[in-house]
Amino acid sequence: MKCLLISSESAEVLFHWTDPEFQQNVQEQYGASQEDGQGLPAFEDSISTLFAPIIISCSTMVDRLGDSYTSFTTENNHIYVLHQFDECLYIAVNGDGEEDEGDLRRKIYVMKKMIEVMFGMVTLSSSLLRKELRPQDTEQRARLWKHLQSLLETYSHLRENDQSFLVEAVERLIHPTLCEQCIEFLERRLVQQLNSSVERAGEEVLHAFILVHTKLLAFYSSRNASTLSTSDLLALIIMAQNMYPSNIDLDDSNPEDIDSTSGSGPESFYTPEPSPRDGDSSSSADMPVRGSTPVFEFVDPDVQMAEDSLHTLDVPPPDPSTPRRVFLEVSLKDGLYPMMPHSMYCLPLWPGITLVLLTKIPTSAVAMSVYTFLEAFAKLEKRLSEGMEGSAATRGQPTIHDVRNKLDKFIKALGPSEMKCTQLQHVWTEFKSRIARGGSGFNRDLIQSCKNMKTQLCGIYRQCFLIESGPADIPRRLSPGLQERAQTMVQDKLMDWKDFLLVKSKRNITMVSYPVSKLILLPVMSSFNLTYLEDFPGLIHFICVDRSTGQMIAPSLNITERNTSELGKGPLAHFIKSKVWSLVSTTRRYLQKGYSTVTLRDGDFYFCYFLWFENETGYKLEAGDIPVLPDDSAPIGMLAWDYYRKLLRYYSKNHQGEVVKCYELLTVHLGVIPTEVILQHCRQLASKLWEPSRNPLL
Amino acid sequence: MAELMLPDSRRCNYFFLYDGSKVRGEGDQTREGICYFYPEETPLDEQELLCGQLVGTARCVSELSSSPVRILRLRRNKFSIRVKDDFFWALGCSVEVPTISVCELLDQLINLFCFYTGSVRQSYQRNSKESLAARWAQYLSHLQSGSSELHHIFSCLRTIDSTNVDPLLLLKAALILQACQRCPLVLAGCILFRGRVVSTQMSPELTMKVMFHESETYTKPQRPSAPSTFSSFGGAVGSTAVFLTLSELQYVQSAPVDKAFSSHSTPHKSTASKKTRLSRTLSDTPSSSESEPSDPGSSQSAQKLYSPHLSDRSVLSPDPAAPRPLEPPLSNGTLSPEAEEEPQEESFYYSFHSNGDGGSRTHNEGEMPDPPPPRSAAFDLPEESPPIPMTLYLHRVKGLVLALLVEPHFLSDTASMEEVYHCSLASLNGLEAHLRSVSPGAPGAPGPYIFAHLDCIQSTLTSNLSGRPGGAPERPFVRATSLLHSHFCNTETLQEAIIRSAGAAVYGTRSVAQETYFQQHGGSLRNSGIPNHQDSAFSLPGKARHRLLKHGVNLL
Repeated sequence: MKCLLISSESAEVLFHWTDPEFQQNVQEQYGASQEDGQGLPAFEDSISTLFAPIIISCSTMVDRLGDSYTSFTTENNHIYVLHQFDECLYIAVNGDGEEDEGDLRRKIYVMKKMIEVMFGMVTLSSSLLRKELRPQDTEQRARLWKHLQSLLETYSHLRENDQSFLVEAVERLIHPTLCEQCIEFLERRLVQQLNSSVERAGEEVLHAFILVHTKLLAFYSSRNASTLSTSDLLALIIMAQNMYPSNIDLDDSNPEDIDSTSGSGPESFYTPEPSPRDGDSSSSADMPVRGSTPVFEFVDPDVQMAEDSLHTLDVPPPDPSTPRRVFLEVSLKDGLYPMMPHSMYCLPLWPGITLVLLTKIPTSAVAMSVYTFLEAFAKLEKRLSEGMEGSAATRGQPTIHDVRNKLDKFIKALGPSEMKCTQLQHVWTEFKSRIARGGSGFNRDLIQSCKNMKTQLCGIYRQCFLIESGPADIPRRLSPGLQERAQTMVQDKLMDWKDFLLVKSKRNITMVSYPVSKLILLPVMSSFNLTYLEDFPGLIHFICVDRSTGQMIAPSLNITERNTSELGKGPLAHFIKSKVWSLVSTTRRYLQKGYSTVTLRDGDFYFCYFLWFENETGYKLEAGDIPVLPDDSAPIGMLAWDYYRKLLRYYSKNHQGEVVKCYELLTVHLGVIPTEVILQHCRQLASKLWEPSRNPLL
Repeated sequence: MAELMLPDSRRCNYFFLYDGSKVRGEGDQTREGICYFYPEETPLDEQELLCGQLVGTARCVSELSSSPVRILRLRRNKFSIRVKDDFFWALGCSVEVPTISVCELLDQLINLFCFYTGSVRQSYQRNSKESLAARWAQYLSHLQSGSSELHHIFSCLRTIDSTNVDPLLLLKAALILQACQRCPLVLAGCILFRGRVVSTQMSPELTMKVMFHESETYTKPQRPSAPSTFSSFGGAVGSTAVFLTLSELQYVQSAPVDKAFSSHSTPHKSTASKKTRLSRTLSDTPSSSESEPSDPGSSQSAQKLYSPHLSDRSVLSPDPAAPRPLEPPLSNGTLSPEAEEEPQEESFYYSFHSNGDGGSRTHNEGEMPDPPPPRSAAFDLPEESPPIPMTLYLHRVKGLVLALLVEPHFLSDTASMEEVYHCSLASLNGLEAHLRSVSPGAPGAPGPYIFAHLDCIQSTLTSNLSGRPGGAPERPFVRATSLLHSHFCNTETLQEAIIRSAGAAVYGTRSVAQETYFQQHGGSLRNSGIPNHQDSAFSLPGKARHRLLKHGVNLL
């Protein structure tokens, strides 16, 4: 019983996702069974009708009481979480007890993040975003919603099964030698070659990374690229996973299994049993079909067709060499530019192993200008709506005269051919005439003009970066041949390693004195013998996160039918997994309320959570005040909203001139172990585990 | 980012009762359905707005989920919701108040109304909206008054500070109640002193309801609508009609009093029994001569019935070896460790049987905040089984009140009344004099630590915090306690927790019967936050065990 709905203030459905139970529930409530083929609009209508009173009440409450709903709970424990972003109301529902309020709120924020990555600054204009999310053309709408639904399902699956998405930090494969080799390869061979090719059509590869499932094998950023934020990287991993899903349960196999299937067409092993997520046919739409690439049937689109008939429309697969447009944060010397356009090339090497290239597109300077103008108008609008007038409203940087000159030039540079541009020019002329009167022009009446300008700017942005270039245009992307060459290069490089990597991604670190892990880890962690069971008796699990770099380390929690992990098989392993998951959500609740140390004795277990700060040399800084946030604040994490970046900024206020790092440690111990011993373990883990992190490779 | 929430001094921001049956047609206005709205000074259109929106939204959500809405949360307020037939109650508190406490407050409020007024529907048929509105206002102000923030968090009874009281006085109070109970028309009772419980035979929920009446008659003795008083007893005695739910009645009757004597099989018998039994007062010693039957005709059978009873009963000279004849009275749980352990065991019985709605308590692991209220049995709208009329009898001796739940015809039974009155009068006077002489208990020097100990069974709180006005230094403790309490309520397997912010480290531990919270002042709280076994926060469990022993809290 799950649902996520995005609605406009007038109760128009902008997006919805429901699981089969919820869909059934809605249909039962609506009484009439839907006819095949006509199902889609009918279901959309019924869901819209059912939620309409809530949606309308939401805007009434905001308008008349200045307060808004945040969540509802029913006696049978259905949870509804509501959040309004500008004029879009998000409602997430759970009725099966699998998600709590925090999970639902997180889901809402993640959905918003994914929309931002996909639509960039268009999200800043509600009216434009509304059109973007709900295209008039029903077929186009179905395709878009299907894609968003599939992204949401991929995210939910990762959050429920992948520790790195549980704590929202990137997990790296721990194999320094190979990592180093790969980074070098990406730098010296791949990126250099791509960026010097004429086939790149003006694009420039900024970042290149190799994913093994969700784990990072190697990441290279070119010298003139800004750092890729953890939030964006996690979002990109979700997108890559959505395109090339790796079924965690099924491809966790022995190396022999992989040998038998490598590179030889569809194999039963790679055909997972149909699950709602994998049966999703949009993932197959994303599948590239290319001669040189081994093609694996991850999904069987037919399996879910019948059940999904309400959703499914035959969507022609897009050209696989067409990159995805993604909008990512760029930090330059002169400031932070959110949602700057990039192209994302996701090249599958083997099932589970993917090469991702991020390129800067030639026109990205336009986006920066648009952002600067948007910001200027937003600031002006804010000051005007706060009641400032005249020169008080125009204070600050950049001055309105700067903006004026720059915008004039900008419009001239865009050229009159662009249809939107004439509109922008029109609105801008009107704006200028209003402020021509000098200080007196800056009054409340100008607010609407500011809004109009913002909408026009977003419109320009949309036209430049979202509308697919018509056939007449020269395709602006790395040529298919170039992409293919990149793919082959990396495949050649990793050919001998791929089986190892697939296993390694499942057993990155393990809790037992596992010979492979020992061999791999010993060279890195020379001072730290990772035989946890021997050195840390009673320790069951831990997660350590470096929040400054957004990376985490944790023993693998493989829960499969076929494999016995060190936690045992089946129910016990599931139990511990559920404990770890609930521990993370519990400690977040405490962190939200300002508690940075939590220990819990729960059943037969003892849980610890620590958050602390260090400076660059590893000196432990004094614990400071952690801000207390309201219950409905943005979720604590790094994916949708980077809490830790804000926390570090807040904490650093008292540590000027020092690089402050933030770490977290979670441990699960057996309850019978004396507390002193547990704390000693925690201390050892905290002080030693990140020693290798001084090694830039890890 | 740093949105520090300020505590709201008012516990409840909004409360309303809305009767959907009054707003059926298109032309009906929302205001027709508003039975009561708090704060009363709220402009009518705002009342209509809030009622209309919340009722409408709740209805829509209920339809979607096929289940009534329990909580509606807004950014600034959270509303606990109850829906019964056409009635819709909503109680809104600041978001800082734990959800479980908001739900409990609303349930208490509705239960209080039903206890004194009976069925809601019938009350609104018989009485004017205005008079009932006045009642809601009284009940609400009663529930919001006086108590400390901790009391609100735990929704617990206010008791006398037993650390300052001679345990013998508590025993005496219990004996008074037992003596009264010998009248078969008396179901159960409690003794209150200045708005605090001295001893009770009733469940905490029932005691809480009885306390309302006590405080009303205490603060407004001249209320025109005051219930009947009996001139023959010098105005010290009063009574009022109350309504028990079936489960409450069953619980009260299930108390291990030999109810063979309370049977109303024949009026004759019961008269006889009263004669014999009520002739005894606390100062009496048991002697068979006093139970000489006046009616020889019926005496034989009565005598047979009584004799084993009388010999068994060691009410007046308690013998520790003898089986405890009655439900152990509430003693604030701190007489001595042994005295505490024993009653609890028996108390479990009722907590699991009389509150038998355990199935509704859902265990939701991952979620810490805002549980479904575990004590849903507390909300017992009596529609399924109509409320059973009973009478609450009150005998006041200055600050001391003896409150008895009695059968309605007790009032017409002058003999019984006189007997109850006279058998307890002397003891009550004595008890009052003793309790009055007890110094109001200097709240003690603000020690090097703060603690709060909740007896979940008796719903009583022991704390070295309660005496002081809510000062800033205690805020971190109260905040942590409220968070931990919610966590304990949600996670049945959680036994203990230590949480630390930059300013305070608080230790919480619980068992089935109790929750204890402890914070140590001073010491070097400043630390790096990195795991360190020498960190003072982790010595809290040991310190709590050691320090709290002298408060009668045994954490071993």
